[in-house]
Amino acid sequence: MEFLAATTLSDALAAKREQPEAVPLMGGTDVMVELNFDRRRPPALLDLTGVRELDEWSMDGDVVRLGAGVTYTRVIEELGQALPGLAMASRTVGSPQIRNRGTVGGNLGAASPAGDSHPPLLAAGAKIELASVTGTRTVSIDDFYTGVKSHAGRPDELITAVLVRSARGPQQFSKIGTRNAMVIAVSSFGLALHPDVKRVRTGIGSAAPTPRRAVEAESFLSSALEEHDLWETRAALADSLVREFGERVKAAARPIDDVRGTAAYRLHSLAVMARRTLGWAWADYAGGTA
Amino acid sequence: MFGQRIRRVEDPRLLSGRGRYLDDLGHDALAVAFVRSPHAHARIVDIDVSAALAVDGLVAIYTYDDLDGRTSEPLPLLIPHPTLNQGRTPYPLADGEVNHVGEAIAMVVASDRYVAEDVVGLIQVEYEPLPPVVGLAASRDGDALVHADVPGNVAATMVQEVGDAAAAIAAAAHRATLSLSIERSASMPMEGKGVLARWDADDESLLVHTSTQSSTSVRQAIAAKLSIPVDRVEVVTPDIGGGFGVKIVHPWPEEILVPWAARRLGQPVKWVEDRREHFISSAHERGQLHEVEVGYDDDGRLCGLSVRFWHDNGAYTPYGLIVPIITSTQLLGPYKPGAYRVEFQSMYTNTVIVTPYRGAGRPQGCFVMERVMDAIAADLGIDRAVVRERNFIQPAEMPYDHGLMFQDGRPLVYDSGDFPASLAKLKALVGWDEFDSFRAAARAEGRRVGIGLGCYVEGTGVGPYEGGHLRVETDGSVVVSTGLTSQGQGHQTMLAQIVADELGVEMERVRVTTGDTRRFKYAVGTFASRTAVMSGSAVALTARKVRAKALKIAANALEAAVDDLEIVDGQIRVKGSPGSEIDLGSVAVLSNPLRYAFDAGAARATQFAGPVDPTAPPVPEGEQPGLEGTDYYSPVGSTFANGMHAVVVETDPETAEINILRYCVVHDCGTVINPMIVEGQIHGGVAQGVAGALYERMEYDDAGQLLNASYMDFLMPYASEVPHIEIDHLETPSPLNPLGVKGAGEAGVIPGSAAIAAAIEDAEGFAITTMPISPSQLFDLRRRHCER
Repeated sequence: MEFLAATTLSDALAAKREQPEAVPLMGGTDVMVELNFDRRRPPALLDLTGVRELDEWSMDGDVVRLGAGVTYTRVIEELGQALPGLAMASRTVGSPQIRNRGTVGGNLGAASPAGDSHPPLLAAGAKIELASVTGTRTVSIDDFYTGVKSHAGRPDELITAVLVRSARGPQQFSKIGTRNAMVIAVSSFGLALHPDVKRVRTGIGSAAPTPRRAVEAESFLSSALEEHDLWETRAALADSLVREFGERVKAAARPIDDVRGTAAYRLHSLAVMARRTLGWAWADYAGGTA
Repeated sequence: MFGQRIRRVEDPRLLSGRGRYLDDLGHDALAVAFVRSPHAHARIVDIDVSAALAVDGLVAIYTYDDLDGRTSEPLPLLIPHPTLNQGRTPYPLADGEVNHVGEAIAMVVASDRYVAEDVVGLIQVEYEPLPPVVGLAASRDGDALVHADVPGNVAATMVQEVGDAAAAIAAAAHRATLSLSIERSASMPMEGKGVLARWDADDESLLVHTSTQSSTSVRQAIAAKLSIPVDRVEVVTPDIGGGFGVKIVHPWPEEILVPWAARRLGQPVKWVEDRREHFISSAHERGQLHEVEVGYDDDGRLCGLSVRFWHDNGAYTPYGLIVPIITSTQLLGPYKPGAYRVEFQSMYTNTVIVTPYRGAGRPQGCFVMERVMDAIAADLGIDRAVVRERNFIQPAEMPYDHGLMFQDGRPLVYDSGDFPASLAKLKALVGWDEFDSFRAAARAEGRRVGIGLGCYVEGTGVGPYEGGHLRVETDGSVVVSTGLTSQGQGHQTMLAQIVADELGVEMERVRVTTGDTRRFKYAVGTFASRTAVMSGSAVALTARKVRAKALKIAANALEAAVDDLEIVDGQIRVKGSPGSEIDLGSVAVLSNPLRYAFDAGAARATQFAGPVDPTAPPVPEGEQPGLEGTDYYSPVGSTFANGMHAVVVETDPETAEINILRYCVVHDCGTVINPMIVEGQIHGGVAQGVAGALYERMEYDDAGQLLNASYMDFLMPYASEVPHIEIDHLETPSPLNPLGVKGAGEAGVIPGSAAIAAAIEDAEGFAITTMPISPSQLFDLRRRHCER
């Protein structure tokens, strides 16, 4: 197996062009596990840990440009205000050691349905920046996940950043694991209120072949909120509304049975998490000035 | 020292990174990796190494055909039993057939592990798959056989009966039947197994470091298998990062193959297990299915108990029937069962072997008996603690003979214990009598809480013997060795405490060595919570012997009577006569009459140093030079420690997540040598009990693949899952040994599943019959009980 170590982004992109089958390596928290289990033997690894350009995040207006190499630890410490949903999800990733190594970019690259950053990025409506020697483009997160552990990036492209608008309303994340810490999600759910555009967005993790939104549940809730003027009044949500939202989130999932839990449990827990996250987020909204 | 909370002398070394684990040794050694079977059951048609031979750094590839002499025979059946008439053990490398995923087929020796692994990847093995037998149901079915010559996959059937259980149950006022099961789990030491062997060609001797719980027995096994005189083999156990039972099995294939290769190649050879190998080629435990019939009277007293169970022993039976025998006897716990019949079948499956893991068959037995107690209480509407009290063996009935044979081949006789007192302490500690109102208040808030109890008795300090050697050096320091090994339990501390007290020296002067056959050749091993009882007693007896010798020499030197002397802080002095004293180092000098003076101290023992008795030999008749001694402790039977746990859990009404709110332990291991060490053992045991109840399981699919063979999906509890543990001790000393101790190593783990199952049952209102239980499974049970 060849080991390519890039030190600049242009070197990295050139290498990726040269060897499109090279697997990008950041924190190694997914790739090394797969290699260790002999699940894949790529002809080459492209080490991006030396590429400084990927390690930074910046604000462009109210949009956070989060470099693909920014670790979960930094998201938690530096972006808790701007990206609260992602920061919450980041806190549930692995252990401190894993959070010091693992990156949101790497999570997107692996595109595992169980990845913790997907639900909050779906809920926030993020965009993924993909670069190659021929240029840079952005893809909406809604179009990013294309199948089990695959995404919209081309073989000659690298994920260079995630663009996420700074939160305009409360965001929540919930995860059911098999243990309190250091676990892969049995199922997870992210929710973001976007009061500026009177929309609710969601993200479902570990309960379908790809991370996905519960689009129908979002529309249902958004129109119910609008219909009852709740964005303005910030009045308490009817129990029946919250419950129906949970059921519709559940209907959007397509989970499987595996060692971490049954499909039935995943569906049930999604409905519970949808109700709870909505309850928490709405309580924030009702009590706040956001 | 005895009874004091002394900090462990091991810890500064281990915590500051100065531990010497197996993998820290032998950087000059060749490395080994194995080709292991990817099939649960298959015939090996062909092994093609041609593609591997060109790899740079390859030293050797061995298969079964290369094995010579006794290495080509099956590995020993360590603990034969008359009813184990279909015992089977594996070959060091598979001979034409593999019986579980992970069984070793070819051994690769190379310049380093990377090269060895690459070579493993290039060796082509052609298999003819055979139908795999996975799980007890398939094994009992008998449609497919693990070993073609073992009908019905039954390794052994064993029955023990006291009284006429069937008649007693039939005649009882009330009867119940229960079906109960416990999943597989396994020991997960920090460092897995590992072996480093150095062959000295000039001396024709082997020095082997191995991560074992029985270095003396590994030594014998290597000598026998390699046909080397046993005095040419020494086995040393370094720091091994925990054993928890898995390392009592020996010799592992690797413990034979690595020394064999080292001798053959004339170079040091080392193998260290990786975590996947630990999952698929070491050993597992638990894994039983129980069918219980019980008869009881109106007060909930047992009249008769009949237990039939099936034990999944995996592909081979190197450790005999020890686990199911322990289950079948220790199931009884602190109770009088009335008439008792137990029958078990030990069944083959195409899975990893099943050998003792901390608790060793007791967690299953305790789970069964405690479920029976709770079922009786529920049926009769009697408080669960009261049902237990009514069935307890009473203190006045000690020693209590159950009329059964225990795992040591001796009668199951409890030596001591005060079960009513233990339960009273536990009820007070957890607030048993106040829990009803707490539960009701929580219910009113929409919360679900429950409480559960688990009581057990643990046979500890199993024989046949252990020994100790002690020498006082001329500088007054004391070196002690015992043959059994240490896995991090604090043996060095505990044994030093005993010696310091018995001999009258400061603990800092005592250095203890374990598990090094160069120092002590006769020993059994570390298992069955036996070190404090066996080696503790042995070194106490040894210290008494050396003390007597020291006093005799000192009496002579001080011209005093032995009875007038005492030893305090390493000084022997005449009681009540200050100024008249001699230190132990000087006594050591005097104990060894010398011709040559190599230092000032030694000069005092030379021939012209003082007046001599010309009529007596320099070494008195019947004595030996040196202030040292050896003694052994061999008890007539096991000691029996006991304990009771109470757990309070809360289950989430929506997500079915299970949280432990309180975990209380009352523990009786006889006289406590070091409360801090005992509590540490309990903490670790409880963590593993929680693990077995809520997290750990072996997920085999129908093809015999272990789906969760890594720490990603085999869930061990972290600090975030282990509750705060509240402990109270009861000390009922054992009458069987000089220290009154009863062993504490495994205790904490035993009633975990029993108590947690009971607590969940109490919270949920339906029976819990299978452990471990996950939120997903609890959710499933709720749905089956027509809820939500």
